[in-house]
Amino acid sequence: MDQPRVDPDQELVKRTQSGDAGAFDELVIKYTPRLYGLVYNMTSNHEDTNDLLQDIFAKAYRAIRGFRGKSSFYTWIHSIAVNMTLNFLKKRGRRFQLSLDDVDASIQNDKEFLESTATSSPVREADLSELQRRLNEAMMKLSDEHRAVVTMFHIQGMPHAEISKILRVSEGTVRSRLFYANRQLQNYLDEFRKNPVS
Amino acid sequence: MNEFDDNEIARLLRLKRYEQPPPAYFENFLHEFHRRQRDEMLRQPLWRICMERAHSLMLRLDVRSLASYPAAVAAVLLCAALISVKIYQQPETARVALQSPPVLSVPANAEEELTLASPGIVRIRTQPLRSFNESAQTHRAAAPTRYVLDSVPVSYEPTFRF
Repeated sequence: MDQPRVDPDQELVKRTQSGDAGAFDELVIKYTPRLYGLVYNMTSNHEDTNDLLQDIFAKAYRAIRGFRGKSSFYTWIHSIAVNMTLNFLKKRGRRFQLSLDDVDASIQNDKEFLESTATSSPVREADLSELQRRLNEAMMKLSDEHRAVVTMFHIQGMPHAEISKILRVSEGTVRSRLFYANRQLQNYLDEFRKNPVS
Repeated sequence: MNEFDDNEIARLLRLKRYEQPPPAYFENFLHEFHRRQRDEMLRQPLWRICMERAHSLMLRLDVRSLASYPAAVAAVLLCAALISVKIYQQPETARVALQSPPVLSVPANAEEELTLASPGIVRIRTQPLRSFNESAQTHRAAAPTRYVLDSVPVSYEPTFRF
């Protein structure tokens, strides 16, 4: 029989609800890097990401008294982040700026990266910066909802079930969006491989 | 020519995990968050700040648990009031009994009974004339007082015999 999962953030949430602002600081420190990745890969802009992240935590702090623990804090804060980012993207329209120089230097020593570039694949032939630029462009060609699913699944490594809770859609919808987004990205990157100069 | 398959795309997308801001960003993020919170608070009207402070203070004091103390105090005061009413009611009736003057009740045919023409046992019924304290000292307090008169009057003159 499955035991009900205990929210690891429950104690911090309760302390925050009882007026302990320091407990919320701990939640901010814990979730900032992860939410930064989520928001950044949806907006592709550091400035926007920073502003959005500040707004997300401010909203979470105001709303945390109403948080009843029906979902985990993880799911709850990610829902706020995704919804606010999607609203922001709708207002911003298709305008975006790519951040091309942000790849951390540690990527050069990453096992996964080395494997990716060592094998006989299209990746090997591409320059890292160029590849990243193409990837960002491909991502930005997706709709906001598809990009959100791709970000959560491929970049953040979330399971389908968690994504469905965050987006409040069925798992089938998540899988469908993911399939469609993969085809879109595949087509775009194939074009790049065929015409690398374009 | 190779084509990008799903695994390839997934691997490429995972590379985007490395797109991170400078390390100092996360260190300063919390300070920036506090600064923005303060700025936002200063823009709010004074009454709202006071309301929020009062609300957070009440939450910190856990008002729900404190609410039991006034209830307990009220219950104790109520009990004390009831007990004091019970206690002071009894002495009040006793004081009334003391203050009321003793009533001498004489039967309607008392004059006949007291005449010498009908010597015999004359019973004078009276209400107890003793005070409350005196009656409290005897177990016969409630019983009516009885006086017995001799049928032959007492005389100190010598009896003449013929």
